[in-house]
Amino acid sequence: MKRTPLALLNLIHDRKKFLTSMAGVAFAVLLMFLFTGFKNALYDSQTQLLKRLNGEIVIINRLKENMFVPRAFARRRLYQAQAFDGVEGAYAIYISDARWKNPETKKTRPVRVIAYNPSDPVLTMPEVLARQQALRQPNTAMLDERSRAEIGPRETGVITELAEREIRIVGTFSLGTDFASGNGNLIMSDQNFLRFFANRGPEEDKRSFATADIGLLRVTPGTDIDALVQALRDGLPQDVLVLPMNGPEGFIARERAYWEVNTNIGFVFSLLTTMGFVVGIILVYQILYTDVADHWSEYATLKAIGYDNTYLFGVVIQEAIILSVLGFIPGLLISALFYNLGAAVTGLLFQMTLQRVVNIYVMTFVMCLISGAVAVRKVQRTDPAEVFGL
Amino acid sequence: MSSALPIASGSPPDVPTTSTEASIQVRNLSYFFGRGDLRKQVLFDISLDLYPGQIVIMTGPSGSGKTTLLTLIGALRSATEGSLRVLGQELVGLGSRQLVEIRRNIGFIFQAHNLFESLTAAQNVEMAVELTGNFRGKRQQAVDILSQVGLAERADYKPAALSGGQKQRVAIARALVNQPQLILADEPTAALDKQSGRDVVTLMQQLAQEKGCTILMVTHDNRILDVADRIINLVDGRLESDASPQQYADAHAPKSLDQKMFMM
Repeated sequence: MKRTPLALLNLIHDRKKFLTSMAGVAFAVLLMFLFTGFKNALYDSQTQLLKRLNGEIVIINRLKENMFVPRAFARRRLYQAQAFDGVEGAYAIYISDARWKNPETKKTRPVRVIAYNPSDPVLTMPEVLARQQALRQPNTAMLDERSRAEIGPRETGVITELAEREIRIVGTFSLGTDFASGNGNLIMSDQNFLRFFANRGPEEDKRSFATADIGLLRVTPGTDIDALVQALRDGLPQDVLVLPMNGPEGFIARERAYWEVNTNIGFVFSLLTTMGFVVGIILVYQILYTDVADHWSEYATLKAIGYDNTYLFGVVIQEAIILSVLGFIPGLLISALFYNLGAAVTGLLFQMTLQRVVNIYVMTFVMCLISGAVAVRKVQRTDPAEVFGL
Repeated sequence: MSSALPIASGSPPDVPTTSTEASIQVRNLSYFFGRGDLRKQVLFDISLDLYPGQIVIMTGPSGSGKTTLLTLIGALRSATEGSLRVLGQELVGLGSRQLVEIRRNIGFIFQAHNLFESLTAAQNVEMAVELTGNFRGKRQQAVDILSQVGLAERADYKPAALSGGQKQRVAIARALVNQPQLILADEPTAALDKQSGRDVVTLMQQLAQEKGCTILMVTHDNRILDVADRIINLVDGRLESDASPQQYADAHAPKSLDQKMFMM
């Protein structure tokens, strides 16, 4: 036999009030999940293309500070890099913005075109590998099915105009948008890239195979990547930057850090998350305070018959913890729903990792604890002598 | 818990034998509310002995200090002047932590039942048992005491499903379950109808005799004065009279009241 679970029984005694309380906590949890979700989605999305690039080392123009900067580098650097020990393959990736005409509304929208030689294993998503041959046909491309709805139907067989030239969609893949991608992404072969971008209008940059936007190096297994990066930095001219793909100093981390440092995303959404946290504190405080006020004479009686403040403190804190758990679960489920919805609408990457779920739970727990600690003062001030003569 | 002192039920409890130690011994107790200019004396030089097995009713007009005296004896307030020995322990000068310890040996019954609506009758009683650290036998103890107050069938009902009298009996069961030697009651029948009120005090009387505990009850309810062994009358913070129910009834008979008023 154990102690009577007074905290739990008090909480669930009034079903309607209990559900309202749970909804209150769930709401605060939802707010925190949404705002951290947006923040993380904006950050995570910036690197989702980079994470799919199939290589260990990246070569870019020294001035390409982030993916938004359209600076190309001389492709011969890739041939030079190929001469280094441990470099198995060096692939050029060409990137350009272009105007895509929505086949239904005839409105044009900017999209990003990612091009490479289909023989090179640059993007290894199965749907892309399966369409390698189709990509070799002239004036074809694959369309990102997670592009924004503004560009029209995202399906195979669409025929429309890209950069004022007819294009045929021969397949779709799943990537998602980011700040640099405009409304969506296209993958095409390097030959088609030339067809579209070698002879653009007088105002636009002409592209050729002389320059590439991203150079992707694959290394032979067992190569010391850091040493190879160092060797490339020493050996190649200083107009290019050589970065490992992963790691704290890597290409992916650099891209993410750029958006973290140079935008207000972090500040704005952290502020909103804090607001959710504060709203939660107030809601939970109201719930616990009402419970204490409603049961004031019962708690005073407990004090009169010999329970001390520590016990009453324990009861209120237990109620806070129970609320944090029971409110968190529905909050988490609803948030997961909103994450899916958000990902579908915006094309951004909403990830609910275990680490993030744990973080939000810890915040919820602290939130309930603070409210409990404030509400408990009411019980502790209770003078048991006042129960008499009421 | 220690067992109750055996008391011969035939002997008049208001004539204590010298071998019985008083469970409450009050000597020259004074009490003040407030401080500084607002300091107001509410109890004046009270001296009083209460013995095991006695039911003592305390009466007096409102504001006479009854409840204050009750809370002092119940270790709910700390007394500062005079001497107050409860169950052999001097309360004057104790800290609040020590007062909590004292309270665990006292049964409290309030005007309102103060039961948790979320707990069943048995669980409400078990809350008191848990103070003794007896977790294994708490359910049995609670059910036993509930059968003694005639609520064996209602042990698993929540207060909402009980009548006013039944709720007060659960509250009494909670006060009695640890077999305290002292029970303090504040208007226990005020919220009850005549029959339930009578049942409640009869029950208390029975238990006082069986367990030999002292019951001190504040009440305005004239219908239950007859269960008392002594009636203490408090007026303006002073002990006005300390008499048997018969004497009290005589002194407060309408005729004698009239005489007194006439003399004034």
